[in-house]
Amino acid sequence: MFTQTKVYHPFVSPFDPCRPLVSKTYATPPHLYLGFQPPNLPQFTPVEAIKHGVLWPALYSPYEGRTDSYKERDRS
Amino acid sequence: MSERHSVDRRYYELLHQLQAIDFVLVELNLYLDTHPDDRNALEQHNHYVQERWKIAQEYESRYGPLTHFGHSYSRFPWQWDDSPWPWQV
Repeated sequence: MFTQTKVYHPFVSPFDPCRPLVSKTYATPPHLYLGFQPPNLPQFTPVEAIKHGVLWPALYSPYEGRTDSYKERDRS
Repeated sequence: MSERHSVDRRYYELLHQLQAIDFVLVELNLYLDTHPDDRNALEQHNHYVQERWKIAQEYESRYGPLTHFGHSYSRFPWQWDDSPWPWQV
């Protein structure tokens, strides 16, 4: 399944003084996949656009804050 | 600060529309920088310029100038220093 959020697994030192994060995430904004923006893309209405921070839904990147990795770590 | 200005619902409606249209204009402006030959986008841009002008017109006639340095008219007495200021609304 395609998602804008990517995951990587950093090296974990056995001597890490802190509880390590096993997986970290980062966001890849949609323009990376779009190339040169084609004309006549569907648009948000002005009021929706200002709420989303972008005029074209194709370029909207949701950001749900830092992902659950910290919560997951602290749960386990 | 010469007199207290009332802020009614229309004030917020107009400000909201103005913000939304200004945002669309910024987006179209940036888009047209890289797509200068997109006629549809250009027409849309000009359409929103007109919309913006209408809304700004109504706002300014009701609540005073939006910009200074000669870009907006003011009624007597000088309205630029009237509250509410943007950070108060």
